[in-house]
Amino acid sequence: MTSDLRIPDPVRPEHTEEARLRAAAGMAPAPSTGGEYAGFESVGLPDRPPQTEREREVYTLGEGEMLVNMGPQHPSTHGVMRLVVKVRGEVVVDIDPVLGYLHRGIEKLCENATYTTVMTYVDPMDYLSAMHNEHAPAIAFEKLYGIKAPKRAEYIRALVVELNRVFSHGLMMGFQALDMGGLTPILYGFINRDEVVDLLSAISGQRMLFNFFRVGGVNFDANDEFFSRLGTWRAGVLKTIEMNERIMTDNEIFRGRTIGMGVLSGPEAIALGVTGPSLRASGVPFDVRKAHPYSIYPELEFDVITQTGGDVYARYLQRVAELKQSIHLIDQIVDKMPHGPVQAQVPGIIRPKPGRAYAAVESPRGLYSVYAISDGGPNPYRFRMRDPSFVSLQAMPKLMPGRLIADTMAVMASFDPVMGGVDK
Amino acid sequence: MDLDLLLGVGRFLLATTLLLLLTVPTAFVVIQMELKVIAQMQLRYGPNRIGPWGMFQSTIHGFKFLAKEDHMPDLADRTTFTLAPWMVYMAAAMSMLVIPWAPGAIAADFNIGIVYFFAIIGLSVVGMLIAGWASYNKYSLLGGLRSAAQMVSYEIPLTLSVVGVVVLGGSLNFREVIEWQLDHGWMLLWQPVGWGIFYIASLAEINRTPFDMVEADSELVAGPFTEYSGMRFGFFFFAEYVALFIMSGIMVALFFGGWLAPWPFPAQFDGFGGTLYGLFWFFLKSYLFVFVAVWLRATLPRVRVDQLMGMAWKVLLPLAMLNLMVTAGVVVWLKL
Amino acid sequence: MADLRRSRPAAKQLGRRRDLSAPAGALVRLLLDRFADLAPTVWTDEDTVEVRIDGERNVALLEVLRDDPELHFFMLADAAAVDYGPSEHFEVVYHLYSDLHPAWLRVRARVDRADPHLPTITGLWEGASFHEREMYDMMGIVFDGSRDLRRIYMSPDYRSFPQRKDFLLPDDAADSPAAGVDPLERPETWDLSRFVEAATSSEGES
Repeated sequence: MTSDLRIPDPVRPEHTEEARLRAAAGMAPAPSTGGEYAGFESVGLPDRPPQTEREREVYTLGEGEMLVNMGPQHPSTHGVMRLVVKVRGEVVVDIDPVLGYLHRGIEKLCENATYTTVMTYVDPMDYLSAMHNEHAPAIAFEKLYGIKAPKRAEYIRALVVELNRVFSHGLMMGFQALDMGGLTPILYGFINRDEVVDLLSAISGQRMLFNFFRVGGVNFDANDEFFSRLGTWRAGVLKTIEMNERIMTDNEIFRGRTIGMGVLSGPEAIALGVTGPSLRASGVPFDVRKAHPYSIYPELEFDVITQTGGDVYARYLQRVAELKQSIHLIDQIVDKMPHGPVQAQVPGIIRPKPGRAYAAVESPRGLYSVYAISDGGPNPYRFRMRDPSFVSLQAMPKLMPGRLIADTMAVMASFDPVMGGVDK
Repeated sequence: MDLDLLLGVGRFLLATTLLLLLTVPTAFVVIQMELKVIAQMQLRYGPNRIGPWGMFQSTIHGFKFLAKEDHMPDLADRTTFTLAPWMVYMAAAMSMLVIPWAPGAIAADFNIGIVYFFAIIGLSVVGMLIAGWASYNKYSLLGGLRSAAQMVSYEIPLTLSVVGVVVLGGSLNFREVIEWQLDHGWMLLWQPVGWGIFYIASLAEINRTPFDMVEADSELVAGPFTEYSGMRFGFFFFAEYVALFIMSGIMVALFFGGWLAPWPFPAQFDGFGGTLYGLFWFFLKSYLFVFVAVWLRATLPRVRVDQLMGMAWKVLLPLAMLNLMVTAGVVVWLKL
Repeated sequence: MADLRRSRPAAKQLGRRRDLSAPAGALVRLLLDRFADLAPTVWTDEDTVEVRIDGERNVALLEVLRDDPELHFFMLADAAAVDYGPSEHFEVVYHLYSDLHPAWLRVRARVDRADPHLPTITGLWEGASFHEREMYDMMGIVFDGSRDLRRIYMSPDYRSFPQRKDFLLPDDAADSPAAGVDPLERPETWDLSRFVEAATSSEGES
C-alpha cells in the first residue's frame, strides 16, 4: 500500500478532512459517485460498475434503501462470509452473498497430492463433517482403482460417518438457537460433540480433522475398548439431546420466530440445488443413502424422514429426527459388525488406471460428491468436490426479501452452512 | 447560616453520595451473578480464578473499563456523546432514591414516590436515543431508534399495571403501599394479572432477554453502544445491571410486600433490629427476581422486534387497561 | 417442474441392494431412443452412464433429460469443469440423478479452449448459478445468458483463472502463462482514482 492511499469516510465524503484540505488548497472536490456506481461507497467496494444484471439489481438503491454488510467478521457462527443486505428500514429487500474469504484452493492442491494425501486435504473443507468429506473421495478412488474395501472397513466407515452426523446435527441445534439469542443450546451441543469426538479420537487419533479413511479401507481398527466406550456413550447421548430439545422445540419464542419463516417448497428446493435435511424438510424424500446406496447402507434398516412445511422449524425438526435416526443406525451397525481386515492391500502410492469416477455421500448438509479423473499417475488429474452448503446458500436471496434483518440469521442457521465447505 | 439548613444539605449530600456509591457494588454483584449463574446452567464453571469462586471477576471488569482508551468517533457530536452515558446512569441512580429498603430506611420518602420512579426511569430512553444519534453511525442510529421504540412502548403497560396497585393501596407512596400490604396481604394476591404485566414489561424496559433486541449481538453489531469504549461504555453496562436490580426491587416493593417477611415469619419489627430484618428480606426477594431474570437470559432466545412491539401494544396494553378497569370497578363496588 | 409426487419414494427400497447393471442398460436404450447420435459417446460403468456432447447442445439435452417422464432426471447433482491441458479443450461435466434410473448420468460437454462459451443452464436449474460462477472464476468458461456471471471465490479484480493447467503453483498469478487471460470484468477499466491521491504507480502493487 502506498503511503498516500487514503480511504475517504464512507458515509459523508464531502465532510471529511480530505474535502476540507482539498477546498483549502483550492482543488476540486474528489469525484463523487452516482448513477450506476451508486451505493458502492457505503459498503466499501471499489469503484467499479456493476458487472452483471444481478449485481446491478442488488446494488442499485431505490428510495429509502440502504446497503448493510453482515460480515465477514460474523457475530454468527458459520464462518467468514459476507452478506450484503439491501434493507429498507428493518425490512430486507435483497441479499448478495460474497464468498471466498476462506478459499484455500483445495481442488488445485489435490492435483499435486497423492491419492492418500488427498484425505488430509479434504478434511478441513466442511470441518464439521470431516468423515463425510473423506468418505466420498475414498469411494471415488476405490472405483478408479477397481477395488472394494473389506466388509469390516465399510462397517467402521458407516459407524464413524453416523457418529459424525450425530454431532453435526447436535451442533446445528445449538447454532440455530445462538443466532436467535439463546445462549445455552450451543453449549449442550458442544457437550454432545465433545463426547462423540472423544470416541472418534480414540479410533482415528484426531479430534477434528480425522484423516481416517484410506483408499481401500480405514486406517485403524476398532477394538473392544472402543466398543465399550461407545456403549457408555450410547447410554447417555439421548439425555444431552433431550436437554437441548426441552429448551427449544416447544419454546414459544423459538417457535414464533421459526414457524412459517423461510418457507422453501419442494420443487423450488430442487431447482436451487438444495439437498440434505433442508430438502427433506420441504417434503422431498431424497436421501443419497437410499437414492443411490453406497457402503453398507443397503443392509441397514431405516426410512427416509421428511417434514411438511419447509420452514425453519421443519428444518430444525428434521435434523433432530435424523440425529435420532443416526443413533438408531449406529445401534444396527454395532450389532452387525463383522470381523476381518480393515484395509485392503494397496501399494503405498496408488496409480489407478486412467478413468473417471463419481461418488456421492449424504453429508449432514446434503449431497456431498466427488468427481475424480485419473490419468494413470500418482496424483489425481482433476479432483472436484461438490459441497452442499455452497449450493444451499443460493436459497438465501430467494427466501429473505420481505423479512426482517433479524430473520436473516435464523434462516441462515437453518441451512447450517459451513464456510469451509462453501469456500473450499 | 442556619444550622438546620447546613445539616439538611449535608444529609442530602451524604445520602446522594451513598446512593451513587451503592450502585457500583450492586452492579458488581448482579454482573457476578449473571456470569456464574448462566455458567452453571450451561454446565460449565464460569469465572473461578479471580478471587475465591471467582468473586472479584466483575470488580476486575470495572477496573478494566477504567483502564481502556476513551475513543470518540471524529464526527460524533462531542456534547451529546458524552452526555448519553451520564443520562442513562443517572436515570438508574436517581431512581434508587425512592426504593423502600427497610422500615425507616428510605432515602427519599416522597408522597409521589411511584410517579417519581417511573418518570425518572423514562430518562434512560433519552439517553439511549442520544447515544445512537451522537455516534454518527447508522447502525447505532438504528439500534438507538429500536431501543427507544421498545422502551417507550413498554412503559405504558408498565405504568398502567402499577395504577391498579395504587388504586388498591390508596397512595402513591411506596412506604404506604407496603404498609397496606402488611394489613391486607401481599399485593400479588390482589393483582396477579397486574404483576404478570409488570414483570414482562419491566424485562422489556431494561432490555433483558428475551427482549434484548437492542443489544442483539448476532445482528448488526452492538446497537446504540457500538462506538462507546472505556468508562463511557462502563456507564451503560453498569446502568443496565443496576436497573435490573432496581426493577426487581420495585416489583418486590409493589407486589411482594417490600420488606415484609412472608407468612410463617413475623412481618416486621420496630427499631434498628427491625430495619436489619426488613433489609434482609428485601434483598432476599429482590435478588431472587434478579436470579429469575438471569435464568431467563440463559434459557430463552430473543423475541423479534416486530413480535416484541406487537406484544406490547396488542396484548399487554389492552390487558393492563382491562385490569385497571376491573380493579377500579371492584374497589368502587366493594367500597374498599 | 416435474411432479415429484409421482416419483417412487426412496423409502420403499428398504435394505435391498439395487441391481444396477440391467436398469443401466434400460437407461442407455431410452437415451439412444431420443438421441441416436449419442451412440458412439455412451460409456457405462456399474453405476454411471456417461454421454459426451458438444458444448452448445447442453441446454437442449438437459432439458429433455429433465422433462421427459421416462427419463425424469430432476436433480442436478453437480456441474464441474475440467481442463485437459494448455493445448486441449475444456469440458463441462454435469451429473444428474433420476429416481427412475439407478445410475448417475454424466454429461460431458466439450468446450473450445480458445473461446470458451457455453449456454447457461440456470434456466433449467437456478441452483446452477453458483456452479457456473465457480467455473467461470476458476477456469474462465463463459456462460452465455447467465444473469450473474461474476467471480465467486477470487477478488473481483483478479486477473487469472486459477484452476487452469497452465496456472502454476506457487507463484504470483501475474507470472504464470495463464496470466493475461482477459476476465470479463476488465479491471483495467475501473476508475479507482478517488481512492488514490496520486494515481500513478500504486495500481501494480498489491
